[in-house]
Amino acid sequence: MEFLGYERPDGSVGVRNYVAVISSGRCANEMAATIADAVKGAVPILHTYPCVHLKEDNERALRTLIGLGSNPNVAAAIVVGVGCENPPPLEIGEGIAKSKKPVEVLTVMGSKNFQDLLDKGLAIARSMVSQASQMQRKPFALSYLTLGVKCGASNATSGIVGNPVTGRVFDRLIAEGGSAIFSETTEVVGATHLLAKRAVNKEVARRLEAAVDRMEARIKATGDDIRGSQPTRGNIEGGLTTIEEKSLGAFAKTGTSPLQGVLEYAERPQGKGLFFMDGSAMTGELIGGEAAAGIQIHIYNLGGGLTSSFRCLPGWAGGLPILPEIVVVSNPSKPRDSQEKECFDIYADTIIEGKESVDQVADRLFQEIIAVASGKLTKQEMRSGYRELLVMYTTGPIL
Amino acid sequence: MKRAVMINSKDNTATTFDDIEAGDMVSLASKSGQVGEITARQAVPFGHKLALATIGRGEKVLKYGEVIGLATQPINKGDYVHIHNVESALLPPPKEVK
Repeated sequence: MEFLGYERPDGSVGVRNYVAVISSGRCANEMAATIADAVKGAVPILHTYPCVHLKEDNERALRTLIGLGSNPNVAAAIVVGVGCENPPPLEIGEGIAKSKKPVEVLTVMGSKNFQDLLDKGLAIARSMVSQASQMQRKPFALSYLTLGVKCGASNATSGIVGNPVTGRVFDRLIAEGGSAIFSETTEVVGATHLLAKRAVNKEVARRLEAAVDRMEARIKATGDDIRGSQPTRGNIEGGLTTIEEKSLGAFAKTGTSPLQGVLEYAERPQGKGLFFMDGSAMTGELIGGEAAAGIQIHIYNLGGGLTSSFRCLPGWAGGLPILPEIVVVSNPSKPRDSQEKECFDIYADTIIEGKESVDQVADRLFQEIIAVASGKLTKQEMRSGYRELLVMYTTGPIL
Repeated sequence: MKRAVMINSKDNTATTFDDIEAGDMVSLASKSGQVGEITARQAVPFGHKLALATIGRGEKVLKYGEVIGLATQPINKGDYVHIHNVESALLPPPKEVK
């Protein structure tokens, strides 16, 4: 099986063809947005990261922004900064340049004034978009695809419907030579023993356990426990009683493939297959980290918990403009509304209704992934207006 | 008839596929098909859990064939199983329940 994608100089294949205008620090967000909004085909990457973090967080932020610019869905990138911020704009640009795609860095400190930066930025963006618009999609094997996943609004149907469906799709893509990344370290708590058994070697199992231990230690250091936060109030309303129950349901989304590796947040996997990424369960953070690791399509599995009543709002589901997101719903929350099917790419409630099997829905999702990889717009991509700011995973204090 | 699913044959809970009222007969399905019926002693909302067996205080509550927590009070077959009678086994020991 094949999809139609855009070949990149580093050998990766994009399913979208954007010029990304990346803000290097939150002070530069408005400049990046002003440039991207004025040029069709350019999209801004805006975030909330401030300078006032410690080294480990700064390094992770740098890796994240380099990863986003290097993502296969990006044809070319412009890094826009003030010039004094952390991560430094030039280092972001140098990192992206390793992917051999066109990249330019613009800073206020390196320009005559703010207007001068905007003028240069607009000219570069138009030129990059013009170049990108001449690229053609070509057929590629599914082995060039890397999927990411997040389950949200989890309720009891997530572990029976949406997550097993995603697990089968992951298995099928990995059997075709592709890759998949899952994350949410807190949701490995209670299922670590099952995942560790699937690790390809002892070192991978050890790194998985270390990531979970680290998260648990961070929670304990606050003097609190996970109760009251995980499972969330919405999860409890949806029938999930404990973190173990939530994790075991979430675990189904990993399928049955061997665990090839454990990634740091925003780290690109080496090799193919199934990978775990250390990180939080916060949607925006998770999507940013997986996109920086190079996923081209994200699957968002909704249960039917309380928060899924926000389902028609694109920002809620992460909303990173370089990344198409396929939303799967396991169970519509009540009261049922006639518009709700309009919000989802894959309606999986048919499993609870007894009309379709998990395999049948997995087949529909697999076909949808190939279609979206070849250019079909997702429901979220067809909405416009509100834009969510990316939040990066941090473990240290804001000073 | 109202429906519930026993995900693994080791489980002592089933997940409901309908809103269940006290006294309802519930048909129980597993991967291999219909496995019987159970009478609900208490109301259980859609997606929540119904006890398939008596579970003593401090005993393991099972779903997916795995431990999802420990009973904080005695649970009877047909009872509603949730945060009022189960706590995570990974947390500090369950609080005393009067």
